[in-house]
Amino acid sequence: MSRRASRGYLLVAIVVAFSMVLTACSQPAAPAKPAEPAKPTEAPKPAAPAAASPAAASPASASPAASPGASPAASPGASPAAKPAAAAGAAAPGPTGPAPAAAVQSTGKATTKAPATKTELVIASPSDISKLDPHMSTSFQDVIISFNLYDTLTSRDPDLKLIPRLATEWKATNDKTWEFKLRPNVTFHNGDPLTSADVKFSIERTYDPNAKTLVATVFTTIEKIDAPDPMTVVFTTKQPDPLLPSRLAFYGGQIIPKAYFEKVGADEFNAKPVGSGVVKFNQWVKDDRLVLDANKEYWGGAPDFEKITLRPIPENQPRMAALLSGQADMALKLIPDQVDQLKSNEKARAEGAFYAGLYVLGVNSKVPPLDNPKVKQALSLAIDRDGIVKALWKGQGAVPNGFVAPGDNFYDPNRRPFEFNADKAKALLSEAGYKGEEIVIESSTVIGNDRQMSEAIVEMWKKVGVNAKIEIIEGSVRAQKNREKSFKGLWWSDPTSTLQDPDGMMYRLLSPGGPMDYWREAEWDRLGEQARFSLDQAQREAAYKRMQEIMDVYYPWLPVIVPIESHGVASYVNWRSNPNQTMELRKDVFSFNR
Amino acid sequence: MLQFLARRLLRAVIALWGIVTIVFIVMRLSGDPVPLMLPPDAPTSEMNRVRAELGLDQPIPIQYAVFIGNVLRGDLGRSIHMRQPAIDIAIERLPATVELALVAFLLAVVVALPAGLISAAKRDSIWDNIAMFFALIGQSAPTFYIGIMLILVMGLQLGWFPVSGRGQGSWLKPGDWSTMLWHVFLPAVTLGAFAMASIARLTRSAVLEVMRQDYIRTARAKGLNDIAVLVRHNLKNAAIPVVTIMGLQFGTLLGGAVVTETVFAWPGIGLLAIKSIGSRDYPIVQSAVLLVAMAFVFVNFLVDLAYGWLDPRIRYA
Repeated sequence: MSRRASRGYLLVAIVVAFSMVLTACSQPAAPAKPAEPAKPTEAPKPAAPAAASPAAASPASASPAASPGASPAASPGASPAAKPAAAAGAAAPGPTGPAPAAAVQSTGKATTKAPATKTELVIASPSDISKLDPHMSTSFQDVIISFNLYDTLTSRDPDLKLIPRLATEWKATNDKTWEFKLRPNVTFHNGDPLTSADVKFSIERTYDPNAKTLVATVFTTIEKIDAPDPMTVVFTTKQPDPLLPSRLAFYGGQIIPKAYFEKVGADEFNAKPVGSGVVKFNQWVKDDRLVLDANKEYWGGAPDFEKITLRPIPENQPRMAALLSGQADMALKLIPDQVDQLKSNEKARAEGAFYAGLYVLGVNSKVPPLDNPKVKQALSLAIDRDGIVKALWKGQGAVPNGFVAPGDNFYDPNRRPFEFNADKAKALLSEAGYKGEEIVIESSTVIGNDRQMSEAIVEMWKKVGVNAKIEIIEGSVRAQKNREKSFKGLWWSDPTSTLQDPDGMMYRLLSPGGPMDYWREAEWDRLGEQARFSLDQAQREAAYKRMQEIMDVYYPWLPVIVPIESHGVASYVNWRSNPNQTMELRKDVFSFNR
Repeated sequence: MLQFLARRLLRAVIALWGIVTIVFIVMRLSGDPVPLMLPPDAPTSEMNRVRAELGLDQPIPIQYAVFIGNVLRGDLGRSIHMRQPAIDIAIERLPATVELALVAFLLAVVVALPAGLISAAKRDSIWDNIAMFFALIGQSAPTFYIGIMLILVMGLQLGWFPVSGRGQGSWLKPGDWSTMLWHVFLPAVTLGAFAMASIARLTRSAVLEVMRQDYIRTARAKGLNDIAVLVRHNLKNAAIPVVTIMGLQFGTLLGGAVVTETVFAWPGIGLLAIKSIGSRDYPIVQSAVLLVAMAFVFVNFLVDLAYGWLDPRIRYA
């Protein structure tokens, strides 16, 4: 070997060593790991289209202050399951059973003092906002802003308890009417008083066909809205709808100023939005920063910051670096590796909460061999979910035990987590007469870890003799297939529980004509309809129990994991994550530790 | 000269037409933007209405004819998602990218030219080895790796630079320069690393090449010292390949900003293009690519003109 050549090799060796040192001394290693894309919302997740009438005790429950029973979530009779209490860490929804005790990292409490000069809250988000008009988007990055820029009539605290906001009290005056009393002396950012006319205008706008909102299906139960006086709103529903106060707490429910909106029009409103929330719009430079000023006159008290700057930083590593270097106070959407990394960090901590829903493989049960229930049972038995939670999610999740989101009404903690038994799976496959037909997972990369999970599951299935295969599809192709209901076999979905009730998740999605209508079973359909319109809680509970038993046979979904979603926050911030993803920053849930 | 200009112009137009056509076809093959815009439960009638509104219900050849006609009138369509003229949105982003590319280019040239010269003049010395070692890293390490490493080391560990984002201020105000430079430094090094390495290596080999020429020996024989030989007799003769690669690299910097802009959350045209590809916003992708292509063609044109100045034997005939 010539002297020159050997020197060349020496150089290469130095380069390798050098980069290894660099990598080692900077803890967030693995630069080669592809950035997990920010999970865009599964597009809007509209509430149940018809009048759901579950949980709530009798519709006569009065003001929430006097009787928290107005909230189906808080009503003890209605909610057999323990509430998730996600933030309480140990009291996490317990779908685990024999699975690992899922480690939700969440204290909500600061461990260090904030710098005395700290008045600006900088949030590093994986993606820029797209809309400021609250009725035109339901995606995560927009919702987190709009629930702070605007107020809703009701809201949910971090324990998912329904709480009053613009409404001080509400009651059902009869089966089909709800009366809401508004909070007096609330003004919009432009000084206009907030009255019942604004509420009527805002909610009517959501389902006005001409407004073409993205939340058009949220309030389909409403027949009409009346504003008898400036502080009273009366909703008349088409059928009894005890879940109306819950619906008003989530997207679609944001109240906008009628007079201002009518004066400037939709485009100008989106460019210069006015709400009544805890922050006021200041400036938006696309893909660079969104600046919001504190609303010092907020009826609920001024927030603990002068302004918020939202900085879109698409890549995971730089977003975390922004947090750790003090250039951001919050970094949204951590990946499981980063949650681990923060365990021993003094500058920042992870605030996690169980996802209010499930990650499932949807199944097209119309195509062979997936029309054979035994094949689907075998597929479910062959998935080592515990292994997936541990290896791919670093323990940041739990093995589900059914088709109802943990913590929802009628969630049954006594069901066993889905079983992993390869031998049983093999036996079932031969019983089913499975002859090696190809089974395809169409995996995207829009749902957290979906591609890695697909690869692992395909290997597990191959081990029991299933001719399984992955096809990677791009986000827009997935959206199209979702719409056309044209998935070939299996695909990833992340159903969200919008109403903390099975009607708002499994029945909404799997019902006849629903977005995931690939399977029908007459008894299941009948029970679902019954439960939707029943006021009898025992009957509803029995229906959902039986419906899950039917699903244990037919598997229209293969639930895989209940992941924990985590955000990074600086150690001097008091804040905890809300499982419903609204990212509240009002003073009762957010403060700098001074 | 005029004939030369005309010929170059014609070639430029053909190149731009080709680029625009390829982008047009590839984007339409890659998927439909409409399902991404509407809720999954939107009825088919609504899909069709939106499609018709955007002209996407027409056959591709007709869409193409309409598109070319509009481009000739300077109209690149309206953004599908933002409902504003696409070219305006793209132009709005241009300053950030030009700023990044210019600083990266200047940094590359300022570092690479002396490095290449010293390497050549002191061939096989320790300086040569150090310079070529970094050139090797610059040419072989992927941009995102360099970017993330710089963020982790210079931004996070040492805390010398901001980890992402563009400075708030204006280059027109000298008072803002320090903050602007402070923000642009890491992205510019990341983006310029490859160009820096290429220019340094090429400068070194071009200068070495010229050193072997007879006229250099003659100059030395006259008793001129090394510096004078290098500056007076070597540099201009070695400049043609160096200028060529500088021109090519500048074009690449504009287009190559995509990765750097994503890593550093730099609000330029590359980040816009990536987002727009994801959402199938055809008009924005077309506008962004067209702008970058025009810049590329223009820089190449300047390089061609520079040849004549550097080497009078080259005639524009």
